[in-house]
Amino acid sequence: MKKKAYDVAIIGAGPNGLICAAYLAKAGLKVILLEARHETGGGLDTLEFAGFKYNPHAIYHMMADLMPVYKDFNLRERGVRFIFPEVQAAYISKKNSPLVLYRDPKKTSDYISTTFSARDGEAYSRMYRDFKEYSEKILIPLTYVPAVPPLEQVQILNRAQDDVGRRFNEIAELPPIEILEQYSFSDPVKAGILNLFTMWGLSPHEALGYIFPLYVYRMTQAALCSGGSHRLSSAIHKAIVASGGAISDDSRVVKILMKDGKTSGVLLEDGTEIKTSAVASTVDPHQTFLQFFDDGQIPGFLRDGAKKWEWEKCTLFGTHLALRGAPTYINTESSPDANRAMITFLGIDDTDALLDHQNALEDGNVPEGDLFGHTTCASLFDPIQAPEGYHTGRWECLVPYDNDWEKNKWDYARLCVDQWKSYAPNLDPINMLVYPPTYIEKKIRNMVRGSIKQGAYVPLQMGYFRPTDTCSQCHTPVDGLYVCGASVYPGGMIIGGPGYIGANTIAEDFGIDKWWQEIDSVKQARKNGIIQD
Amino acid sequence: MEDYDVIIIGGGVNGLTTSAYLARSGLKTLVLEARGECGAHCDTTEPGLPGFTHNLHATWLIQAMSPCIEDLGLVDRFGLEHVTTEYCYAKTFQDGKNVLMGVDPLLTFNSWEKHSEKDALFFMKAADYMMNNMEDAKGVFHDFLYLAPSEENLKATGNVISNLMAACDMDLTFNQIWNMNGFDLSCKLFESEYVRTLIQSLTWIAGMPPIHPSVGSMGTLLTMLCGPFFPIHQTKGGSHALTHSLVKAATTYGARILPCCPVKEIIIQHGTAKGVQLSEHSVFPNEKIFAKKIISNLTLIPTFRHLIKEEHIGSKMAAIIDKFDYNEQNLFATYWALDGAPQFASADYDDGIQRCYTGYFGGKDTEAMKRFNTDLVNRVIHPDIRANWFVPSLTDPTQAPEGCHTAFVWLDAPPQPKSWKHGALNGLPAWDDIKEKMADQVAATFEKYAPGFKKLIKDQIIYTPFDMQRNNPSAVLGNWLGGSVIPSQWYMNRPVKGVLNGGGSRTFVKNLYLSNSIHLFSYSGLSSGYIAASEVAEDMGTREQDWWTHKALEWYIDNMSEIPQNLGVR
Repeated sequence: MKKKAYDVAIIGAGPNGLICAAYLAKAGLKVILLEARHETGGGLDTLEFAGFKYNPHAIYHMMADLMPVYKDFNLRERGVRFIFPEVQAAYISKKNSPLVLYRDPKKTSDYISTTFSARDGEAYSRMYRDFKEYSEKILIPLTYVPAVPPLEQVQILNRAQDDVGRRFNEIAELPPIEILEQYSFSDPVKAGILNLFTMWGLSPHEALGYIFPLYVYRMTQAALCSGGSHRLSSAIHKAIVASGGAISDDSRVVKILMKDGKTSGVLLEDGTEIKTSAVASTVDPHQTFLQFFDDGQIPGFLRDGAKKWEWEKCTLFGTHLALRGAPTYINTESSPDANRAMITFLGIDDTDALLDHQNALEDGNVPEGDLFGHTTCASLFDPIQAPEGYHTGRWECLVPYDNDWEKNKWDYARLCVDQWKSYAPNLDPINMLVYPPTYIEKKIRNMVRGSIKQGAYVPLQMGYFRPTDTCSQCHTPVDGLYVCGASVYPGGMIIGGPGYIGANTIAEDFGIDKWWQEIDSVKQARKNGIIQD
Repeated sequence: MEDYDVIIIGGGVNGLTTSAYLARSGLKTLVLEARGECGAHCDTTEPGLPGFTHNLHATWLIQAMSPCIEDLGLVDRFGLEHVTTEYCYAKTFQDGKNVLMGVDPLLTFNSWEKHSEKDALFFMKAADYMMNNMEDAKGVFHDFLYLAPSEENLKATGNVISNLMAACDMDLTFNQIWNMNGFDLSCKLFESEYVRTLIQSLTWIAGMPPIHPSVGSMGTLLTMLCGPFFPIHQTKGGSHALTHSLVKAATTYGARILPCCPVKEIIIQHGTAKGVQLSEHSVFPNEKIFAKKIISNLTLIPTFRHLIKEEHIGSKMAAIIDKFDYNEQNLFATYWALDGAPQFASADYDDGIQRCYTGYFGGKDTEAMKRFNTDLVNRVIHPDIRANWFVPSLTDPTQAPEGCHTAFVWLDAPPQPKSWKHGALNGLPAWDDIKEKMADQVAATFEKYAPGFKKLIKDQIIYTPFDMQRNNPSAVLGNWLGGSVIPSQWYMNRPVKGVLNGGGSRTFVKNLYLSNSIHLFSYSGLSSGYIAASEVAEDMGTREQDWWTHKALEWYIDNMSEIPQNLGVR
């Protein structure tokens, strides 16, 4: 590549790098987006093989059309179509009727009342109403503005006109399991709701009450991207190109260059130097602070902070199938809707068992025997993801990273398929791709030890502390260096927050006109005093 | 959706080429791609072990000779980078010998001289003649490949070939050659069976099977000059990097590209194409979109028989189109992630083979090559493996992790096999059942030519003709050339007589153009996309552009010495 000068180099073309580049390129900054892989998109990855589309990373998106990038770039016109399956989740059981969670909370509550108990049905309605309110008034708008120090955040919420702030403060520091207890659910409903959170490797016992409601609410409002998740990144990619932004694949950054105490560019693995005045890193703190800089080049506390960064305790094992037909599940005769759920959970109908499973995972044990897995047959909702007459099937389950996965991957994949078959006897694969935790890390460099969120979601690495209190607002103590990837507030999971906040921050620093408007939920939260300047 | 000047159905590299030209010429252009990714046959994926990327279709690319490189600014503006190896083709034999072709003609000469001084001298004379007459040849070459077929272009090409033969002291006229098949011509030109089978195999894998008259003989001449005159490369980052640069170019020039938009019907009124309707499964379900010109970059049968109602073409034309053949040049492919580069046994004979990224094994003499061809025609899977091998990471180390390599073997296979080793097979679906066994045999054969190969294997991906058809239904039976390249579907006859007006891209349906299944055939030289772009622009009055002036081979001749070699040879 010819050496060129740019205003901003953005490291990593995952969702956040793409989003950040898109806003800034359209704002007229000279932007170059650098990606180590041959393909951009990061976790928005769709592997098209023999007509089957496999999504080994993100597949359902809980913030889908809520992400500001969707409307600001008119991604619908660029071919992004979100599909919101009516049945969002089903828990198939060998003992009971399935638990079915619809997108419509009234349908879910009615179903639970009829199938399990009226008390659980009523509790679901109450919980849903609360979680929806917390999410829409607080958590969604806060996803798209910079982090606020925790004490200040509590005070702002307490002072807000709407008392939702005070109510939210009461649960924000509780572990999810305790929040659920306030609604007195019984199993399997309780286990099912808790699992919408724990399925991501998040602990039910940590003080993560401030994100739990968002997960439960949005995981019943999630969408598939038609054609696979990569269509979302591909549309943003084209928006960048159309605005004149540069995107360079196979361009791994090895150093961030400094001149006179300020970032001056980046150095690529092949020796190419790119001159820029600002650098935005969307990759993990290890790469950003420990690899891209030498000791002494940046304040020591940044490197010390990065050294303490914790990866996730659990990761995911994936098995992707090309299927001759769609699976039909056992015990669904009276609830056929369970067969058209976006996510089908297998083996989960008891909270104690779920907690035992979680504990075992945290102790580093690989689950065997009765596996808890979740499956998605995307082609049921989006036939374009498989050749005519065929289906795709995706199995994922939580596993610890430490295991000889390279050796065991095929055996474990067969175990997963056998378990799936025990719930869906008609499962008929013609091809199987394995995706063990080692592949996650090998494919996406940020996801060290298979950390799909680029670092653990534990209180010390969340909110204002993600990745550290000096870097969570996108600025860093290094002049000209910004951070805006999943390891930065508000985190990963394709919520589009860090990249959007990054673009806002960088645009302000460059003093350029923001061509975009603040999103409605943020405007409303400002009006309600939930966000303050 | 708003109306367009031009709709292109199919965002393969030729469709993208057309879109970039037309958008840049000022036309409002829309590309509709059925798959998620554009560039169906320039596809780089990571289907197994991460870090190992495989090009499931085209791997060696020849767009370096295309005028698109400069017209569209693919290298200067859109990030396309070419890479190659010192040797561009090899054939390795069971007796431990090999025969090679180099990017530098001297390398070819040196290798061939070991087998036959006469053949080596003939090659050198031909190469010299071509290099010395490059300016003339360039124009003829451009007109032959990048314009609609015509008697005039064929005659001009014939003159160059006749002069070439005379310069090489070979008593052969173009007319004689045009009527010969590749086996006969290679036997006439060369005395060594090593050299003959090298050329025959290369002709074959270049898409012009030697068994056919004119197809095979033209293929022989073209591939004989492979390297110095006929470039074969990879793109850095894999074949999909060509797609990326074309998508960037087309998008920058203003084309709108929509993946996941399979078309279900071409709307025709009173014999004129008016627009398209998208499939109910597309991202714009059932949407109707209208345009002044429709270009189908799908192959012949999907275009006319799946997207157009028979009433619009008539039963007579339908019957002609239905006879279009897709049975040849379909590949059974096995891809590997390797712990190191394969070490060919014949490296002891000439270690140049270790600096070559593609070649062929099996088929020791012309008779053996012919037997293989006969089996293919009879839809029998040949008992021995004769196949085209690649080690792409020798050229482009970005395709494998440090110290590791990728390799694959493409085996010409009948897409609808009737039998294999006396066992009956039920055609295309049989591939799902026999693929594992077949891949084992392919790996075992590779082992024979490169001892220790199997120990290097970390991962294996199998890709059959059935997979190729499922991947891209426009590639009927997995055919990668837009339909068989056989005399009845060649040059003036392509795709079949009666479909095209003037032999280029204009079809018998008004305002409907075809950029696939046409001359030459579908390949990465991007000629069919260029022809469609030229003709649509002429018809729309936008052809005259100061940037649209380059000729075939211009960029390559100016830049060939700067293309990096052997980046992955360690």
